[in-house]
Amino acid sequence: MNLGTLSRRAGTLALALGLVTSAAACGSGNSGSGASSSPKSITVAVAYPSPPKALLEQFTKQTGIKVTWVNIGWDDLQTKIAAAASANTYFADAADVDWSKVGEYQRTGWFYPLNKYFDVASLRSDMPQLNTFVSNNDLMGIPFDSSFLVTTVNTKDFAKAGITTMPTTLSDFTADLKKVGAANGMASPLDIHFATAEGLSTCWYQMTAAFGGQVLTAKDAPAFTSPSSPGYQAMAWMVNAYKSGLVPKGNINETDYQGFTTEMARNRVAAEMCDYSGSVASIYNVPSTSSVVNDTEYIPTPGATGVGQNVANPDGIGIPKTAKNVAGAVEFIKWFTNAENQATWAGLQGAKNVVSTFPLPARLASFNLMIKAGDIAQASELDNIIKAHAEAPFPNGAPPWYVQFSAAVQTNIHEAAAGQETVQQAVTAIAAQVNQLKSSG
Amino acid sequence: MLPYLLLSPLVVFIGALSFVPTADTTVEAFFRVMPLNPPNRFIGLGNFRALFADPAITTSWINTAAYVVVGVAASVVLGTAIAVALKQRFRLRGVVLALVILPWALPAVVEAVIWNWIYNPTFGVMNSALHSAHLIGGYHVWLGLDRWLTIVLIEIVQVWQITPLSALIILAALQAIPPDLYEAARVDGAGPLQAFRRISLPLIRPALAVCAVEALVLSLNIFDQVYILNGIAPLGSSVMLQTYVTTFEDLNFGGGYALSLLVTLATAAASMGMLALLYRRTEAA
Amino acid sequence: MAAGGPGERTARALTRAATGPAGRALSRRPARLLGHTVAIVVILLWSLFPIYWALNTSLSTLSGADSTPAHYFPSPLVSDSYRAVFGIGGAGNGISGELGRSLLNSAIESGVAMIVTVVIAILAAYAFARLQFRFKRTIFVSVLATLLLPAYATLIPLYRIMASLSLVNTYLGVILVYVSGFLPLAIWILYNYFNGIPRELEEAAFVDGATPLRALVRVVIPVAAPGIAAAAIISFLLGWAQFLFPLVLTTNLSTQPVTVIVAALNQQRIVPFTLLMACGVLAAAVPGILALILNRFIVEGITTGSVK
Repeated sequence: MNLGTLSRRAGTLALALGLVTSAAACGSGNSGSGASSSPKSITVAVAYPSPPKALLEQFTKQTGIKVTWVNIGWDDLQTKIAAAASANTYFADAADVDWSKVGEYQRTGWFYPLNKYFDVASLRSDMPQLNTFVSNNDLMGIPFDSSFLVTTVNTKDFAKAGITTMPTTLSDFTADLKKVGAANGMASPLDIHFATAEGLSTCWYQMTAAFGGQVLTAKDAPAFTSPSSPGYQAMAWMVNAYKSGLVPKGNINETDYQGFTTEMARNRVAAEMCDYSGSVASIYNVPSTSSVVNDTEYIPTPGATGVGQNVANPDGIGIPKTAKNVAGAVEFIKWFTNAENQATWAGLQGAKNVVSTFPLPARLASFNLMIKAGDIAQASELDNIIKAHAEAPFPNGAPPWYVQFSAAVQTNIHEAAAGQETVQQAVTAIAAQVNQLKSSG
Repeated sequence: MLPYLLLSPLVVFIGALSFVPTADTTVEAFFRVMPLNPPNRFIGLGNFRALFADPAITTSWINTAAYVVVGVAASVVLGTAIAVALKQRFRLRGVVLALVILPWALPAVVEAVIWNWIYNPTFGVMNSALHSAHLIGGYHVWLGLDRWLTIVLIEIVQVWQITPLSALIILAALQAIPPDLYEAARVDGAGPLQAFRRISLPLIRPALAVCAVEALVLSLNIFDQVYILNGIAPLGSSVMLQTYVTTFEDLNFGGGYALSLLVTLATAAASMGMLALLYRRTEAA
Repeated sequence: MAAGGPGERTARALTRAATGPAGRALSRRPARLLGHTVAIVVILLWSLFPIYWALNTSLSTLSGADSTPAHYFPSPLVSDSYRAVFGIGGAGNGISGELGRSLLNSAIESGVAMIVTVVIAILAAYAFARLQFRFKRTIFVSVLATLLLPAYATLIPLYRIMASLSLVNTYLGVILVYVSGFLPLAIWILYNYFNGIPRELEEAAFVDGATPLRALVRVVIPVAAPGIAAAAIISFLLGWAQFLFPLVLTTNLSTQPVTVIVAALNQQRIVPFTLLMACGVLAAAVPGILALILNRFIVEGITTGSVK
């Protein structure tokens, strides 16, 4: 064994490492300190892609605060927040506050109440979703979108089947879908996503609203155990839609956005139940990834006996207790949620300044801007929905044990659709979990 | 004095970052630790009882047993086949060997993402290829519907990664067998299959044992592939995935500690059991 | 003659291109040759197809990748996905620059962990292989026993330790955790390798008046260079492949390695498959190329490590 071979090999290794290091060093020269948070910078961790760099730079120019955006999936983000909070470590100055976590964060004290930075009373009139973020009088986050669940259809596909008036009841909807499928060569024309993920839980709340009810009572007890209850019927309807082939079989492991982007946007299905408001502008009308540009439209949700309600699942932004730059975070939140910017994220200034997958602004003032600018993204239709049909999923707000509740919901509905248990068994399992959580929580 | 000096960095690292945390886990497994619901308190076997009562966790133990069976069997058999094929010298053998190692060198997560795309029910090449070859009637949903199919397919991804390891170990053992043994067998009229069974197999038993134990440990602890290909659904869940779910989704740290303690014990017991099994047969043979 | 463990003999034998006597043996039986060739082709297909498929998808257009039946070769062949990854030409999904930074993080974390691991492992393995002392067996077995620990046995407590030292989301924190995880295997490889080196070499050095430490540095290490390279490359690959630990220990792009980013992309709202595969290819490129170039050392490391 001679050293010559070795040093050549070692040289290769060093060279390879060197190449990677130099080629990949397009990031900043910051080599390995923790997330930066001098008074002049903040880290923001939200499950959306960042606003366009140019606009972020404007913010930096105005306030002198540099923004580091953490781009991370929703599920991972919730894990991160929990892990960091329980170990009392810093991970961001402004972070995602999901509508479902408000109760949890208020109880655990992981996020600052924002009442002293924002005036709840005056915001309320411009932000219909604000109450979702108030728990025991503490404002735990500011909503930065008014996401809610909607039904979307491909009007072109429907027209091909001769349908121009949209159905208002579920039975009409199902019948119409079959015709649309036949006319467009789609064996399964409806998209519902059945992966064991949060999107499935919210879809169930939405379908329950379509059947005219909610899944929990005002005392957080199960309201879906009787076969005639809206929750039970909704679950049965969803599972049946999958089993009967109305929904493609591949959807059993598909998440919400996978469904929107690979099925609806590619015209493999003709309708989406449990779509999110904003998909039309931020997904279906984006030419680079969609083949159904200008062919999709929101319709009032078909319900059991007529037009149903839409469940709201807004995203909010708050300040974790471990934040290092609270003042900077407050500045950022104000900027991120002001009326003009909100409208921009949703499409007011065109596709280039859109925040990808952003639904609708949280402020009514932003809606007005969009309607005036030419009804961008069907703003008027959604404005109507938000005022007349939107409702919160739970009468008492999200319970503090929402995470475990949702886990039970997702898992059991998924199993029911996959044929591993009956709807009755799923309902019983979820109800049992709710009762256990209430008694120990 | 010198030995302890040389060992001190090792001892510090392993002591502080392996033993202390393991001890911590072991102790806290007997406490109720829930960040959402402080304070912590001692509950003895409470966590363990809750684990055994949880159907999702019982399912994951059974699933993991299946992962192990498939993983050990497939990687040892495939590894042996590859080793036998590579034992003969031929031109470009070095190149082939380097290529065979490739799956082992790549990150499991990246491999899982690639295989997830291959298994995709709508656009995946698996459906496309099988359909074009008229082996299946229509496009199938591979993952998420049938429990055992899902487990087998996920395990294939892990087997794809760890087989090169087995192949190398078995190959080394095959190379160590003196060629005259084979000559003698040929002279006696034995065919290649018999030569393999009578000569190679017994002599590579130790290597097979090593491969089996490595595959056992890796498949018992399977996480990355399950996380990507199965998500957190109970259908194909493994115990490691359940530990993740318990700790980070349910925020039940005490339960997570308890489950990881059980997995450690299971790994140790299973490895020793397998070694004992294989080595006893070697001595008897 | 040349020193080196049994692994090295095997490795040399394995990587030598076959000519002469070996070729003669095979060509005697054409049916067998055909069977053997088919076997090799199948093995190569099995080993390489998924990698090829990722490349294929990454170089296709979206509609090419989505087509049914699948296209086995991109036509047209486009570099759009790669350009989007690096943000060239204004394309990008908000991820331009992300992948580059994460590759750098992976390189630093794996590279530094490799160096530290190998240095400590050399010292420890030498002590185990050559020196006698009390508790040797106990310490040795305890260290190796940690190979059986699942990630979770240490994950949360490690996270809490790192948090209390303010080392979460730092290179140092990640590297320390990696080193503690890779040491047992590196030591095992080096221990076996050192054992295979005849003691005469060091004894000659002792006769010349060298201390054990000098003998280690001057004599043993150069001779054990292939084994050291093996331990090094294997540690590096292990580091690059880490997912669960960095998932918990890193919180943003300043330290997240490429595995975490690729998994996050898989979860994210809209990532076309073409882009996802491009990121996968890039994430696999470094370990893949290193493994191809340095495969001899990997083989040595694994085969030496399997000798009981």
